Amino acid sequence: MTYRKIAGAAALLTAAALGLTVPSPARAAASATTCGSAATVKETLPNGTTWQLCWRIHDKAGLVLTQVYVSTKLQPEPVQVLDSIRLAQLHVPYDTGDVEYDDLTDIGMGGYSLESLDGDDCKGGSARQGSDGSAEPAQRKVLCVSAEPSGLAYRAREESWGENGPEPGTLYSRQGHDLVLRTISKLSWYEYVTEYRLHDDGQISARLGATGDLAPGFEADAARGWPVGSGDAYKAAMHYHNAFWRVDFNLDGKGGEKVQQYDTKLDGQGEMTAKVKTTRTDITTEGAFSKVDQRWWRLASRSSANADGHPRSYELVTGANDRYQGHPETKPDVTFSEKSLCEKWASGNDSDPECPPDIRTVVDFVKDKQTLTDPVMWVRVGFHHVPRDEDQSPMPMHWQGFDLVPRDFTAMNPLTPDGRTGQNGNPEPSAEPEPSGVQPSGSRG
Amino acid sequence: MIHHRKWGWGLGVATASAVTAFGVASWQANAAPATPTPTVAAERATVSDPQPVPEAATGSGNDALTSSEVQRARAIALTPQLAADAEDVTGKAGPEYLSAEVDPEAGGREAELYFYDYRSEKLFKQVVDLKAGKLVNSFSAAGMQPPASEQESRTALELLIADPAGDTLEESYRAATGKALNGIEGLVPTAHVYTAGPADKGAEKCGRNRCVQLIVATADGRFLSAGEFIIDLSGRTVARLK
Repeated sequence: MTYRKIAGAAALLTAAALGLTVPSPARAAASATTCGSAATVKETLPNGTTWQLCWRIHDKAGLVLTQVYVSTKLQPEPVQVLDSIRLAQLHVPYDTGDVEYDDLTDIGMGGYSLESLDGDDCKGGSARQGSDGSAEPAQRKVLCVSAEPSGLAYRAREESWGENGPEPGTLYSRQGHDLVLRTISKLSWYEYVTEYRLHDDGQISARLGATGDLAPGFEADAARGWPVGSGDAYKAAMHYHNAFWRVDFNLDGKGGEKVQQYDTKLDGQGEMTAKVKTTRTDITTEGAFSKVDQRWWRLASRSSANADGHPRSYELVTGANDRYQGHPETKPDVTFSEKSLCEKWASGNDSDPECPPDIRTVVDFVKDKQTLTDPVMWVRVGFHHVPRDEDQSPMPMHWQGFDLVPRDFTAMNPLTPDGRTGQNGNPEPSAEPEPSGVQPSGSRG
Repeated sequence: MIHHRKWGWGLGVATASAVTAFGVASWQANAAPATPTPTVAAERATVSDPQPVPEAATGSGNDALTSSEVQRARAIALTPQLAADAEDVTGKAGPEYLSAEVDPEAGGREAELYFYDYRSEKLFKQVVDLKAGKLVNSFSAAGMQPPASEQESRTALELLIADPAGDTLEESYRAATGKALNGIEGLVPTAHVYTAGPADKGAEKCGRNRCVQLIVATADGRFLSAGEFIIDLSGRTVARLK
């Protein structure tokens, strides 16, 4: 038996064991592609997870992913995660205050900026051909699709107690993989890599890589530049890459997710150490929000639950993030707005004659504090680039981005090995279970 | 025989959160290598590698517009009135064609085409229903400036070279190549659309007018000095930012 066959058989058995519904014809139809075969990516990773999506190139946004579905070994029917994900702006201001670019709306990541894959751009992967999205579209090899190892996905060794004491039992240890989608845009000296990593555990990582070369001739004083080259005659100007993404979830094809913020704080003293409390705040109206220590957000389905009866959701996980204080729209970390076809770009949005001219940035999107019934999430991740000698040349790739992590999207770890499928819930049930779950603290907009 | 299940659970949870934390940490510039060294025997993961197929005449659903769809949409979008009344960046009759994109929210195959009219200084959006083969909507507005077309980049470069401000570019070209500049030959322009901010002096009309900032490279990738100039394509002037 090949690996795939074993995985398939195991998946069926597991689905039955967990009481999951068998895929019905109706559900299969719901996951049907809404694009042609050339624009479809459907790949199965070694752990049995299949990602399926449509891609296209937009002249401003560059790579756009739509109708993103995932199915796993334990959940063989495809379930939709995203309606779409794409870049929503790349704002590059220099610390000298002399120049700033809104790269998506001033020049665009697609069209003539989009590079055809060459050299090692797609080594080990499949270079897919499609339209470059330009005014006179050309068919070019622009999307790299590859499967890459992501390290140890999990490890657990069970211990048994034998006649002579502890004995090693079953070892569960598996390598994880990501399905990686990448395009490259050359905006003069800088080259940007738009990358989406679809992990086999359901996580989606969005990131932007920057390489190419430092802007030539952008000189600055010591407070705004860093010496590159011999001595300190030439100081290359520091600058920001403020990237925005537009994320539109459509969990299980139902849409209309709830937005929830969670905060964790000290809460008095326990018997041994401090007590800590995590509270939920429902975000019911449009707004812009920023991270504080131990704060996070999730989008939760109102009508789709996993097999444990928990609402399916995805959590926004952000990491390194420099905040550019120069504009109101580059300050919030995340903005939740009610979906509107006139809200396309995090800044420079006043570019569609069909739409109001005064809706320029994400800040304007949420000014009227509409009730959120179909939320769109705008994620900002900034990187303050202080040049260094190593940036010449070409510049080593620097990355910025965020993770979308499944939270109760499936009833168990989607990679759970066969021997562990029975371990769902309290491993040592007590007569009177403790109340569980985070209690709400109120709501805000 | 007693199974220490509780142990297994504790480990499982710890491992999952460690992986997430690593994912974020590894994105930080200057951090450890982005791809962790696999610590277990790696399986060779592969993806399918389909042969490219010829471009379809029409797309479906969320597909990008095909070449022939764009061609058809352009013919429909360019109404006789727009063709007669509007002007492109070179002053010829007919608007400057900028871009075409699919509107997947429309349900069918709808194309949105953007044109700029240098006579009225307005951006036009023409919405074409490809199935019905007709113009279904038309919008126009002043003060909206999407990215430049290739013809606009080229025209901006010509204006810069013809202007006294272009001397800097010529000197920079001579220094880089040892040769004299011959028009725009051998130059690769990249145009950023420029809109004046409240504090910008020297090119205040930009935004109402259509302006660009150029990055100019030689064919072999050497960058020339041009960034300090704003080329006003509407006014056909070159300004230096103060």
